[in-house]
Amino acid sequence: MAVMMELVNLERSFKVGRAVVRAVDDVTLRINEGEVVCLVGESGCGKTTTGKMAVGLLRPTAGEVRFRGQDIWKMNAADFRKYRQAVQIIHQDPYSSLNPTQSVVDIISAPLLRHGFARSRLEARKLAAEFLQRVDMTPPEDYLDKYPHQLSGGQRQRVSVARALTVNPSFIMADEAVSMLDVSIRVGLLKMLSRFREDLGMTYLFITHDLAVAKFFAWDGRIAVMYLGRVVEVGPTPRLIRFPQHPYTKALLSAIPEADPVATREKERVQLRSMDVPSLLNIPTGCSFHPRCPLFESGLCDRQVPQLVDIGNGVEIACHVVAREAGVA
Amino acid sequence: MQPTKPLQSTHIKEEVTLAVSDLWISYQARRGTVKAVRGVSFDLRLGETLAFIGESGCGKTTLGLGLIRLLPKTARIERGSIIYSRNNMRTSVLEMDNEALRSFRWKECAMIFQGAQNAFNPVLRIRDQVFDTARAHGEPNQQRVRERMLDLFQLVSLESDRVMNAYPHELSGGMRQRVLLALGLLLDPQLIILDEPTTALDILTQRSVIDVLRNLRNQLDFSLILISHDLSLAAELADRVGTMYAGTLVEMADVYDTYYHPYHPYTIGLIRAVPTLSGERRDLISIPGTPPDLIDPPRGCAFNPRCPYATERCRTEQPQLETVGLNHQVACWNWQAVVADHGSRLILAAQE
Repeated sequence: MAVMMELVNLERSFKVGRAVVRAVDDVTLRINEGEVVCLVGESGCGKTTTGKMAVGLLRPTAGEVRFRGQDIWKMNAADFRKYRQAVQIIHQDPYSSLNPTQSVVDIISAPLLRHGFARSRLEARKLAAEFLQRVDMTPPEDYLDKYPHQLSGGQRQRVSVARALTVNPSFIMADEAVSMLDVSIRVGLLKMLSRFREDLGMTYLFITHDLAVAKFFAWDGRIAVMYLGRVVEVGPTPRLIRFPQHPYTKALLSAIPEADPVATREKERVQLRSMDVPSLLNIPTGCSFHPRCPLFESGLCDRQVPQLVDIGNGVEIACHVVAREAGVA
Repeated sequence: MQPTKPLQSTHIKEEVTLAVSDLWISYQARRGTVKAVRGVSFDLRLGETLAFIGESGCGKTTLGLGLIRLLPKTARIERGSIIYSRNNMRTSVLEMDNEALRSFRWKECAMIFQGAQNAFNPVLRIRDQVFDTARAHGEPNQQRVRERMLDLFQLVSLESDRVMNAYPHELSGGMRQRVLLALGLLLDPQLIILDEPTTALDILTQRSVIDVLRNLRNQLDFSLILISHDLSLAAELADRVGTMYAGTLVEMADVYDTYYHPYHPYTIGLIRAVPTLSGERRDLISIPGTPPDLIDPPRGCAFNPRCPYATERCRTEQPQLETVGLNHQVACWNWQAVVADHGSRLILAAQE
């Protein structure tokens, strides 16, 4: 399968007062055409920053974002415009990502007119109706002239999706796109996004803190787990969920409560050495997980930063101890 | 394997802490009267944890606020009764005057609000906020308060001395949530209401709060009402679960029955819409339609426009909760048809 997007040794730091916070550190990730990759992790792990760099909203302080082989920050203006069109975003909060003073038809027409997909308002309206149909808002006439405040959360998120689809993207970055929706509505949206993979060959970078959602959405794709700015484990979804390798992934999976009383009460928990999440201003030396890690080895984990290594079955992990046990260190 | 149903937890006593019957609460809005809670009745026993689940706007938070009469000015308790009892002393919450209400809150019933971990006074040390609370509720002896607080901090796995002297910003979100739990227990209330206690906390932090809650419940005698949209939190902690829809209680059952043998089409819909981590990836099914407008709720059963089992009767007559099994009540005219159709398949899903 052809590689669509490549993040190569990406790094992004922010100045906070006099200190420097490295939100993303040495992230390398490949996303193939038509693939879905989920980026998961707790708040502050750098998943949103990584996503923003992938879609060119944020310039990395080091490393490269390559789209179809080209470094996006070295593209000429015409190529960059094409890249920007190919790559679209669905934001988390459907209440603040739609302009409250514009009606649905205005919201969807704007990109159509701007990018020349429609030459007149009338034509844009006709196309907008088609896009609404594609996101299951039928009949579209019921919605075209409504304003965001007249729509439910789920409907607003569908309008965001319709807007993203207008410019014929091949890649969508969805940042916590279903987190704010009620459970009964969430599934419908996830299924619709999945359908676009078949119908339109869409590729996704799907960012979420919810591993169960990641499992559902990316069952035939991959999950990358981030901790304090680094990717600690990447692997095919079923394998990562069933046989997590990195101690952090194991801890996460064992801690998540589930909507199944027997399973959730009997689940075996991974005990961490410390509950404190280190500050990004003061990231631990060596492996940043070492102060909490049950496999911690003094002199190794606190000295050397583990690199992502391939341990077979498409799984890569960044852990000295697990890599050694797998015989690849 | 049939999911094993553990024996009824022994920490639940016979004594009823809270008896709510036919409670109606509405808000006055410009468009009309929002009927947020419509005829809710339930009993809560001493030591029991009851979770109310449901989606946004189903009335669960309004219900919680109503129980301690902390509703905003635009809200009104239309009718119903709330009877609280401790050591066989029964009091009617709706008939308390301001003074009685003031001592009822916190001493008898503590509520921890959604996001309250961010509501500490940022310029006061934790210990001062603790002493303020104690003094306001008639406990001027700082030494006694201090000792009780140190014990409680230990129960919620916090380093007592460090936390007492800390400012709120020096504590993480999970630590602040645990301070709140300890603070809630300071005056030894018999009823605790938690509104979305783990929402907005990270996974590992959430786990520590859940473990602390379970530990507290095993060690102290109090009843817990848990309000959450998160079905997994209820699965972790609840003894019984009440499912709310459009201001009414549509099902009330033992936690295992709620997840493995639900009878109400809405509960079934909710459970089948939530992805799980264990087991194979199972298909999820969304509930068609959207929740109703509570200014003008549908006639009959409020769920009827979205319900695949709706019949003529559902569109005209509102079903009441009826007992359908041990610790199991459901408000649905067609529950027998629903069970015949779905019951067995859901159990299969749980076994995978």
